[in-house]
Amino acid sequence: MSTTNMHLAVTDRPLDGNSALEFCSAPGHGAVDLFIGRVRDFNQGRSVVGVSYDLHAALCRNVFAEIAAEALDRWGRETRLWLTHRSGRLDVGEASVVAAASSRHRDEAFKACRYLVEQMKHRAPIWKQEHYVDGDSEWVKGHALCGHG
Amino acid sequence: MTTMNAPTDSLEVQLFGGFRQFVPNGTLLVEPGEAKTVADLRRQVERAFGDDENALMLLKASAFATDRRVLDDESERLPSDEPLSVLPPVCGG
Repeated sequence: MSTTNMHLAVTDRPLDGNSALEFCSAPGHGAVDLFIGRVRDFNQGRSVVGVSYDLHAALCRNVFAEIAAEALDRWGRETRLWLTHRSGRLDVGEASVVAAASSRHRDEAFKACRYLVEQMKHRAPIWKQEHYVDGDSEWVKGHALCGHG
Repeated sequence: MTTMNAPTDSLEVQLFGGFRQFVPNGTLLVEPGEAKTVADLRRQVERAFGDDENALMLLKASAFATDRRVLDDESERLPSDEPLSVLPPVCGG
């Protein structure tokens, strides 16, 4: 989904931070904040060689749209937002998520970008399975979407 | 691993994340039976997993959803014309 002030997507293709910076740009915007989440090589005491991301694409796009709408309500309709998440198997160092926000001043850009990332992590239907150096794999525990979880 | 034969009037439920270790193809076919609400469907999915304690524990922490929204009210009536999914705890990023 892409409008003049927000670009939201899930994809199995490599993510590009430069595209986010180009999109989050306007003559009156003096600030742009960019976040790139990458697969790291160590988690919970285990050496990680890669991560597989599973996601519910249709619902994910809807949740991204809700989160972006909330961000625009909080930090102004002129804010520009970018949120993309990867699916499939990623190696260590590859980008799993790119979020960006631009606005007139830095405070709104910082806050809006962080809001996108934090809300995505808690609400978007995305799951990750870590693959370890010893050949084992494990689904990572997450945040329950139901009240009784 | 849970496998089921497909009854002609079976209800298809999509599974994600950790459920793929129990149902690799990500699709669970359950008897619709008396499944009128989210709570009813939860019970049907519980039956489909039988005595698999790990799957049942994950189901307990999971939500049901359509392609548009999470069905967070267990007493809500199931939509008749939308795909249904079970969502285990999420962890994007």
